[in-house]
Amino acid sequence: MVQLSAMKYILNKIIRFLPVFLAVLFFSEQAMATQMHGGIEGVVVHQMAHIVFAGAMALLIYWLRQHGLVVNPGWRQIQYAAVFFLLWNINAFIVHFLEEQVDILDMAQIEPWQLRLQAQPAFEWVAWLYYVVKLDHLLCVPAMICLYSGLKRLLESPASESRPGKMEGS
Amino acid sequence: MIITNLPIWIVDVAGSAAMIVLSLMCLRLALRLKRLDQSNVIWTYLAWVCYALCLFAFSRGAGHILKQVLVMAGRVNIWESIRPVSGSINTLSFMVVSSVTLFFHRTWIIYRDIQNDKLALQSLSDELLFLNRHLEHLVAERSKEVAVSERKYRRIFEVSKDMIAVTGRDGIMLELNPEGYEMLGLKRTERLNGKRFKDFFSEETDWERIEKMLENKGFITNIEIELKRSDGARMGSLVSGSYDRGLPVQEETIHFIVKDIEQRRMMEKQMAQADKLASIGQLSAGIAHEINNPLGVILGYSQLLLRNEKTETDRYNDLKTIEKHVKNCKSIVEDLLNFARSSKPEIKTTRINEAADDVLNFILHHSKLDGIDIIRNYDEEAPPMLLDEKKIRQVLINLLMNAGHAVGKKGRISLSTEYIKQDNKIAIKVADTGYGIEEKNLTRIFDPFFTTKPTGEGTGLGLSVSYGIVKSHGGEIIVESKPGTGTLFTVLLPVVSP
Ligand SMILES: Nc1ncnc2c1ncn2[C@@H]1O[C@H](COP(=O)(O)OP(=O)(O)OP(=O)(O)O)[C@@H](O)[C@H]1O
Ligand SMILES: [Mg+2]
Repeated sequence: MVQLSAMKYILNKIIRFLPVFLAVLFFSEQAMATQMHGGIEGVVVHQMAHIVFAGAMALLIYWLRQHGLVVNPGWRQIQYAAVFFLLWNINAFIVHFLEEQVDILDMAQIEPWQLRLQAQPAFEWVAWLYYVVKLDHLLCVPAMICLYSGLKRLLESPASESRPGKMEGS
Repeated sequence: MIITNLPIWIVDVAGSAAMIVLSLMCLRLALRLKRLDQSNVIWTYLAWVCYALCLFAFSRGAGHILKQVLVMAGRVNIWESIRPVSGSINTLSFMVVSSVTLFFHRTWIIYRDIQNDKLALQSLSDELLFLNRHLEHLVAERSKEVAVSERKYRRIFEVSKDMIAVTGRDGIMLELNPEGYEMLGLKRTERLNGKRFKDFFSEETDWERIEKMLENKGFITNIEIELKRSDGARMGSLVSGSYDRGLPVQEETIHFIVKDIEQRRMMEKQMAQADKLASIGQLSAGIAHEINNPLGVILGYSQLLLRNEKTETDRYNDLKTIEKHVKNCKSIVEDLLNFARSSKPEIKTTRINEAADDVLNFILHHSKLDGIDIIRNYDEEAPPMLLDEKKIRQVLINLLMNAGHAVGKKGRISLSTEYIKQDNKIAIKVADTGYGIEEKNLTRIFDPFFTTKPTGEGTGLGLSVSYGIVKSHGGEIIVESKPGTGTLFTVLLPVVSP
């Protein structure tokens, strides 16, 4: 019980401080716009966030399997969602990584519907890779679909089935 | 390489739109789940994931769409100024999803423990509730079982044909079964209060003996004790008993089981009597036989002498006296031989009622029985039977003569027959209202030569001869008598059909 209330407390804290964070971000829009060219830190943080996200998804998959929750179709769908998110994070990481490799790959929009991808010799495949990984929605949309169907099944299945008490004997 | 960015554009715009729509839909479901089961933190987790994903979808989706539109419109610089904000919000949303997810495991375990505890509590409370609700029922059931068992043992106590007595260590009677009341001659309504078991002992020392044995061994088995009924009659019995150390809260008690062996003792006495009669019979038969022959010679010679003598002379009268007494002797000897069953029986079909009535009429004709009521009561169902009619007639004559003698001048004699179907026996009863037989004489009246009558009046052979006859027919004679009130002789004969 003590642990649970601690959890709730932390969650409440996050809820309370989230609007403050958002406000700070939005109001500092002007200031940030002027500094963007120099800020490689933003990219690094973003990349780290992708890695953490991917790691969290991997952990989630592991736990869902460990607790035997995947027997329940709802949680199985959520597991698939986690798999897709994991892949998507790796994918996104690659996209951002390639965008930073300016000496290997140079990309530019030359006309409204034309893209110029200029890779160093012997690195042509990188251009192709970049083109493919750019289609990242092909991973995150299925992830959302899986999440949705998982939630739907959890909602439909009798409440007790998806509950911990029943899922694990001890 | 120059390539069209149409696929990227389409996937980007459509995907972003789809992400926004899907994230909203997911959030709706997650909130519904949470509302359904407020206490489940897991749903809270899912709701948070969905919130973060919404934030992500909005910031990124809106950003991408805006970017594509602005790029198309050639206003890349505007996009460049928005981009860091959008990217940061994306980063933030990832972090929220990740950090919330990191709590998933612990949350899950805690929630599971709570659920399990809850279930355990629930089942415990159910059990308690059940017990509460059924306690009365369970108690009732249990006490019913106890009652049944108690009834069973009580029945044994009550139905037992032996006396069962429970006494304290000091011999004070605490409980006594109905047979015990019967045996000790107590009324059922009588209270036992304070009566001691030894009060019913003929010899007080017997109790001391029993007490000592109980002290030494803890039990006694089949000790022969003469009990004294409350009406003073004595009764042989076998006493067994044992200490019951009982439950800690109970007093020590002694349980006695007492068997009535009076019946057996009586039987043994009768056997001894029969034995005695049989040996006397044999002895007298031998003597009778020896005496019979000289008596015959004496009778023959005296009759021979009488034939040559003129009547009315002194010698004639003397010889007549000799003849009379010899004849008397001969009849006594014959009686003796009868008693010893040495004469040959003459079996023939007899109607017992007719025979009895004949005998009664004969007696009425020859003795002075005026002033005496004669009652006849014959059972019409009595079947014809095979027996030595002459001998049975003799038995009845003896019994009726005795009755007549006992009644004296005034009284009642009744003669009755009764057919006892289940035993296939005939009971011939001779009852009188005469002077009766004293208890001490009851066992002796069948002895040869036992008589209470003055010499000359009775030889004391009547009943012993009758006894011999009835025995030889496989029957028995039973006597019941109370001095001053009357006597009842019952002759029981087995019916042998012709
Ligand atoms: N009906 C009776 N009432 C009272 N006493 C009886 C009766 N019948 C028999 N007795 C007693 O039993 C005794 C023995 O009877 P039993 O018939 O054997 O001999 P008895 O009558 O004395 O002599 P007898 O040989 O002449 O019959 C009698 O002396 C009498 O005391
Ligand atoms: Mg007689």
